[in-house]
Amino acid sequence: MSQLLDRLAVILRWAGNFLLVALFLTMLLVAAMQVIAREFGLGFYWGDDLVRMAVLWVTMVGAVVAIGDSKHIRIDLIDRLFSNTVRRLAWVISCLTTAVICAVFGYFSLDMVGWDYVDGTPGVGQAPAWIFETVIPGSAFLMTLRFTLQAFTKPAT
Amino acid sequence: MTWLAIALLLALALIGMPLFAVVLAGAMLGFIASGVDLSVVALEVYRIADTPLLVSLPLFTFAGYLMTESNSAQRLMALTQALFGWMPAGLAIVGFVACAVFTALTGASGVTIVAIGALLFPMLLKAGYSERFSLGMVTTSGSLGVLIVPSVPLILYGVIAQQIDVGVSFTIPQLFLAGMIPVMLMLLALAAYTIWSQRGIERSPFSIRAVKTALWDARFEIPLPFVILGAIYSGYFAISEAAAITAMYVLIVEVFLYREVTLRQLPSVIRESMVMVGSIILILGAALALTGYFVDAQIPQQLFEFIHERVSNPIVFLILLNLLLLVLGAFLDVFSATVIMVPLILPIAVQYGIHPLHLGVIFIANLQIGYFTPPIGMNLFIASYRFERPVLDLYRACFPFMVVLILVLLLVTYVPSFSLWFLNL
Repeated sequence: MSQLLDRLAVILRWAGNFLLVALFLTMLLVAAMQVIAREFGLGFYWGDDLVRMAVLWVTMVGAVVAIGDSKHIRIDLIDRLFSNTVRRLAWVISCLTTAVICAVFGYFSLDMVGWDYVDGTPGVGQAPAWIFETVIPGSAFLMTLRFTLQAFTKPAT
Repeated sequence: MTWLAIALLLALALIGMPLFAVVLAGAMLGFIASGVDLSVVALEVYRIADTPLLVSLPLFTFAGYLMTESNSAQRLMALTQALFGWMPAGLAIVGFVACAVFTALTGASGVTIVAIGALLFPMLLKAGYSERFSLGMVTTSGSLGVLIVPSVPLILYGVIAQQIDVGVSFTIPQLFLAGMIPVMLMLLALAAYTIWSQRGIERSPFSIRAVKTALWDARFEIPLPFVILGAIYSGYFAISEAAAITAMYVLIVEVFLYREVTLRQLPSVIRESMVMVGSIILILGAALALTGYFVDAQIPQQLFEFIHERVSNPIVFLILLNLLLLVLGAFLDVFSATVIMVPLILPIAVQYGIHPLHLGVIFIANLQIGYFTPPIGMNLFIASYRFERPVLDLYRACFPFMVVLILVLLLVTYVPSFSLWFLNL
């Protein structure tokens, strides 16, 4: 069981890293291409949409990956002032509360995806918006999972 | 009930809960209290994909990270040393300039302490500057950079300000212009303090050969400021396009011309920078939701009425604001403090007749000084760790620099034309 979980963690980590690199390169190349293409009056009408959508995806995927690196911005006062027991307790409370907040956020963001699915709102060019929006509930639920698991690890330093 | 919720959120923030979760929870609790369906929070966060300005953040941040990975810091130091090293207190001025430029490009002064400070500190000691002075200088001088193009905190300020309709509009290039004279004043004040406090330091001779070598070494990076400024102020490119040009330029220079970062290393640089971007923009997304709630519930208006009953003078308001932001800057990083506080403070400040551009400069400058304000300013700990000195030594070392910068800050606060001179041109 734990071996399976470990393997899953490795796959998720790899997928997160891969996505971040792929999304950024897409963003950079399309944004640069748009600048050049505009010079010649070409420019794709969906190019800017795509770049902006990549920012949303980078943000959400980056936020999931940041959990493993303990890179989420937080006030680290307690690490400097208190003993291990207090820190441990604070760590568990903050991880679990964050997990709950992400779950609630993820749950309600499903509504948004649902509405845009029904309405067929366009996202990037002709591609429907809901497909791109799934990254919000998707990463929110992954964050719930990651923060829950993290509550049982050692506090980050 | 409201106060209980606020107290609970503050407590969670203080025990170290990630700030995006604190802000997100605040927005959700607010919307629950006003009976609004919570899916609106997702709609607000989705606005991340609807803000063209935000595209510039990942691109500029990547460029900064890539420069940190290469030897740009060394080249920048060598160049400024060759150009300014012969002046009185030359090496210190080199340090101020190099740190400021590096922070502007990388967006974070903590990185500057590690990247430039580590090079500069032994050089300062060797040149005869006192240890206390050197320590204070490398810890504080990166802060100047947050007001220089293409400062990420200023872009964030602009993004948030554009979400709130305060009746006075401005552009990001204007915001960068507004920070220009205040930064120069800070630089001059710090240089004057250095010349006065470190009398009797020998000057290094000016050597045209050293200048030539340094110029040649940095030949690909010298055009960079011109690329950034040219793209932003030509009026032809949007900020996001300027960022794309910058990122491409830096990528080509560091990977293909200097070859200091290999293609194989590139994915890890991208990953590191995007993790940082993700954590910042997520807080911004949560703050957009919170802003939505504030506007809905007319919180800034209520807050203004409450404050205005007690403080009618704009100057007194600004003094109090300075104090608040200094304290806040010590607790929070510049990014989070900006996105959380601007939605509350900007509408109030505008009602006091303060221009949003002026407020932006005061805001960011304050928060950055807060970064090394004892007892808990974050840079103090980074420097303490990096230079292996007790934090108490750093308090003493940074204090004079803090006083100098706060004096300039007060001047900039009470003389709006330092930030707004170009509006009437």
